[in-house]
Amino acid sequence: MSASSTSRQVLRQLFHYRETSVLLMFFAVAAYLTFASEFFLEPRNLLNVGRQASVVAIVALGQALVIIARGIDLSVGSVIGLSSVAAAITLRDTGSEVIGLATGLGVGLICGLANGLMVTKFRINPFIATLGMLSIARGVALLLTGGIPVNYAGWAEYLGAGRLYDVPVSFLMMVVLAALVHFLASRTVTGREIYAVGDNPKAARLAGIDVDRTRLFVFAFCGLLSGLGGIILAGNLASADPNLGLGYELDVIAAVILGGTALSGGRGSIFGVFIGAMLMALLNNAFVLLGISAYWQVVTKGLIIIMAVGIDGLQRRDNPDE
Amino acid sequence: MIIDGGAAPVPATPFLTLNGIGKSFGPNRVLRSIDLSVGRGEVIGLLGENGAGKSTLMNIVSGALAADEGTMLLDGNPVRFRSIAEAIGAGIAFVHQELSVVGALSVAENLFLGRTPRTRLGTVDFSAITRAAGSLLTEVGAQSIVPGAPAGSLRAGEQQLVEIAKAAARKPRLLILDEPTSSLTPHEVAGFKDYVRSARSAGTSIIFITHRLEEAMELCDRILVLRNGEIVAQYGHGETNRDRLIFDMTGKTSMFAHVPRAVGARAIALELGGLSDGEAVREATFSVAAGEIVGLFGLVGAGRTELLEVICGARPRASGTMKLLGTEVHFRSPADALRNGVAIVPEGRKTAGILPQHTVRRNASASSLRSLAHGQIMNHRRERDAFSSFQNDLSIRMETDTQPITTLSGGNQQKVIFARALMARPRLLLLDEPTHGVDVGAKADLYEIVRKAADRGLAVVVASSEIPEIIALCDRVGVLSKGRLVNVQAREELSEEILLHYAFSEIEERP
Repeated sequence: MSASSTSRQVLRQLFHYRETSVLLMFFAVAAYLTFASEFFLEPRNLLNVGRQASVVAIVALGQALVIIARGIDLSVGSVIGLSSVAAAITLRDTGSEVIGLATGLGVGLICGLANGLMVTKFRINPFIATLGMLSIARGVALLLTGGIPVNYAGWAEYLGAGRLYDVPVSFLMMVVLAALVHFLASRTVTGREIYAVGDNPKAARLAGIDVDRTRLFVFAFCGLLSGLGGIILAGNLASADPNLGLGYELDVIAAVILGGTALSGGRGSIFGVFIGAMLMALLNNAFVLLGISAYWQVVTKGLIIIMAVGIDGLQRRDNPDE
Repeated sequence: MIIDGGAAPVPATPFLTLNGIGKSFGPNRVLRSIDLSVGRGEVIGLLGENGAGKSTLMNIVSGALAADEGTMLLDGNPVRFRSIAEAIGAGIAFVHQELSVVGALSVAENLFLGRTPRTRLGTVDFSAITRAAGSLLTEVGAQSIVPGAPAGSLRAGEQQLVEIAKAAARKPRLLILDEPTSSLTPHEVAGFKDYVRSARSAGTSIIFITHRLEEAMELCDRILVLRNGEIVAQYGHGETNRDRLIFDMTGKTSMFAHVPRAVGARAIALELGGLSDGEAVREATFSVAAGEIVGLFGLVGAGRTELLEVICGARPRASGTMKLLGTEVHFRSPADALRNGVAIVPEGRKTAGILPQHTVRRNASASSLRSLAHGQIMNHRRERDAFSSFQNDLSIRMETDTQPITTLSGGNQQKVIFARALMARPRLLLLDEPTHGVDVGAKADLYEIVRKAADRGLAVVVASSEIPEIIALCDRVGVLSKGRLVNVQAREELSEEILLHYAFSEIEERP
């Protein structure tokens, strides 16, 4: 009796860590694919999964901080498109790799700052502010290019398609960034302020935490990472398409939520988000390997988001204190 | 139904009987084996300190909570309410202390919320509800309230009367009133008393929770005193007196007596000159010396919280000046105030105090992150050590400092919020309803913490609606009425009557 109740307690404790369920799902899908497809375990395929995960994961790191601080950024997909176009055009017109790269990152940062200012200074609901930015950034990207993709070779190609000892550079960047953001979230003053603001903004403000500055930071940071994502994505294709990143907000938010981050703020871990992004890439890979229609992929993504949030809701109902 | 006239002789079967009701929240036993019977048309006064178990008991009677043990009989038949709706169906109405009127709707619409009469076309029958609302309001002694006025424009006391009228509209058999008179003017109190008397003679049983002992002694057929979850005393009408009741409630004759403190001639820490926010705070002028504890008393809506918010930068200032230790300051945010040595323990532990998903330790360190870090990087050991010294000083009871703060009792949670403010090493500490909803033991601890901090030279401002708290703690008291600081009272002249007199002084009653 007591043995089973302690093991139940251990299980409950384990599930208390919300990363557990996404990790289990990750291994379940991986195990299934191992048997279902002979190609899955081939290094080439695995590295490809890693490369495909990288852009979603990098942007999800920024999105995770925004959501932990009780915000949301719907504009990430459009910012990816605008940054890539801006970087490609400046590179073409100035011929300078550095200026091109800086413009791409800078445009992402400015979009993020604009989101943050709309939320903090004008008190616009993050959902609406970033929905507006989603439309504006995409529109500007189309205006800049007239809707025609711009060639984008050079450093970006190395970031997007290059390999270091066979490992995709973008995957390595994702791992390094994940480690840095994990450190930021768990060990720095800013990280602690982000969690406090998301947990109870009113209490955080009265405790002397600069809520507006914290919110501005997370939106700006998310914009910056979206800019980086845009450069990697365009570099991979050697072309900056104004429609690049279309619909990416869905994948990114799904990765964050799958990773156990609460939409209501104050809770989530970077490790979970990392696994969440890998799981999304694994599922994409599964559809390709198993030869299932890409349209089903779109349906499945929606189902996964709803399921992840639904599980969160059920867990909350069990614990009315939260 | 049996109708009794006047002060009721209790009929054979009481309306409500409780046998051995017990309730625990986690490890805390809040009610132990409560026996209680309420006769038809009987008015019962339920007294007790905050945390004595009054609200829990009434929540069980009104179906909001389930008892762990014991039985409940209605008209002699056992009942077990699974929801508030079931209790309402059985004729039990509970008017809570927290106001729940919908501000955007009219008074009349509030009174008939959820059961609005319809015209033949299915639209709201406004003329019918306005008429009915008028007579309901007259019934509870609030004939001065206009039924068509938006409920949000009413004073807190008027909103309280609307709540009572709303409950009365259901013609309940048992009416539970939690602190119904706490923000009523003396004139409104008289009208309310008439309502209680007429409801009693119509056979309605009433349970009346109050801190105003005189009122309880005047109105109630029976007074029960609850302490630490037990009924410790029971008196009929005219069988007790004030001192006796205080002793029963606190278990001591001078539980929260003022502890004399020597406040020497010390530097002025805070000096306000005509501080206004253009809305809720009107030209507040007073000063607080280092080491002094100054109270801010006022009724609900008097502007206590708002004044503290203006001081700590949480609310914009419209005019006036403020000096901290002789330097003119203008804080733009609580973060700004904190950097300059002003910390606040806000009102509403759940809504504005705790970070519910954070651990105890991280709640305590939230105001001191920079001093516990090397640059940006948190020093976890320094954080742990800092908290552990406060845990000892404040005797915070817990298993480990990494448990979620929500697993602590209310009193211990509040101590953690105190630790948060004190850890920031402030020179001015603002406390807003610092002991709201904490048990008696924690309350005494918190008073001791405040006194000790003041003894070390901290200037303290305590805003409170509890007169005993103000009297126990403060060296001087400012009284707010409708946002105006009407009087600053020295320690020697403090009394309940004087505080209330000034608290009502700016409130004009409608003719």
